[in-house]
Amino acid sequence: MAASPVVTSRQRAAVVRGVPTEVVCTAFSNAVLVVATQYGKMGTLVYLDPGRAGGGGLGRPALATRVLLGQDEPLVHVCAKNLVAFVSQEAGNKPVLLAMALKDKTVEGIQALREVIRSCQVW
Amino acid sequence: MEAAGGGEAAGIAVHDFSGQLGEQLVHFHAMRLRDSLFLWVGAAPALASLAVAMCNPRDSVPVSASLLGDPSDPAAVSLARRLARKTKKQIFVSYNLQNTDSSFSLLIENRIKEEMMAFPEKF
Repeated sequence: MAASPVVTSRQRAAVVRGVPTEVVCTAFSNAVLVVATQYGKMGTLVYLDPGRAGGGGLGRPALATRVLLGQDEPLVHVCAKNLVAFVSQEAGNKPVLLAMALKDKTVEGIQALREVIRSCQVW
Repeated sequence: MEAAGGGEAAGIAVHDFSGQLGEQLVHFHAMRLRDSLFLWVGAAPALASLAVAMCNPRDSVPVSASLLGDPSDPAAVSLARRLARKTKKQIFVSYNLQNTDSSFSLLIENRIKEEMMAFPEKF
């Protein structure tokens, strides 16, 4: 039977600074799933949770990042925050599950990829 | 099916389907990536668990891990293992149903296999 899907997702394929890239964003009621891949795979899984972070206080709440699968190194946390912190904020401080497999981790590459993610807005 | 932005065969394929299993309408959201598959199962659009499984040449039982949610709940891990064994791919499963008894999970598994037979290019 073909009931309408309960989760909304949008996908886009783009060439980001010369690298073929695919992005799929899926909205769940309690989280947003963002897949950003330049290898065609899930790659590293990072969970970004605004609720778990301490601090916050004034201004925007801090975002706690946790690597669920893959290499847990500082650059992964930095890339993840740069890519999808805005998704969490715009979705009303929902957690974001990010799957990223990136060839280009330069600042320019991340910025360009962020715009591709923005174009797949489902939140 | 509902993928915005046109999905080419080589890229990520998103596929939604559902099934009336017993008294419950269960929704499925599948994402085929390179050599891997993400599958979300649920009645309401929440993302509460995530498990991964993949085949291992040295053991007949696929290796698996619970990545998100209650690690003592075996439903997601066991479904991921079964699908990994069937497909030989890396499988990510998010299982979001209260009902985790074995006869119900068999219904779930059969519904997935049925869809895999009908739309092999989506998995």
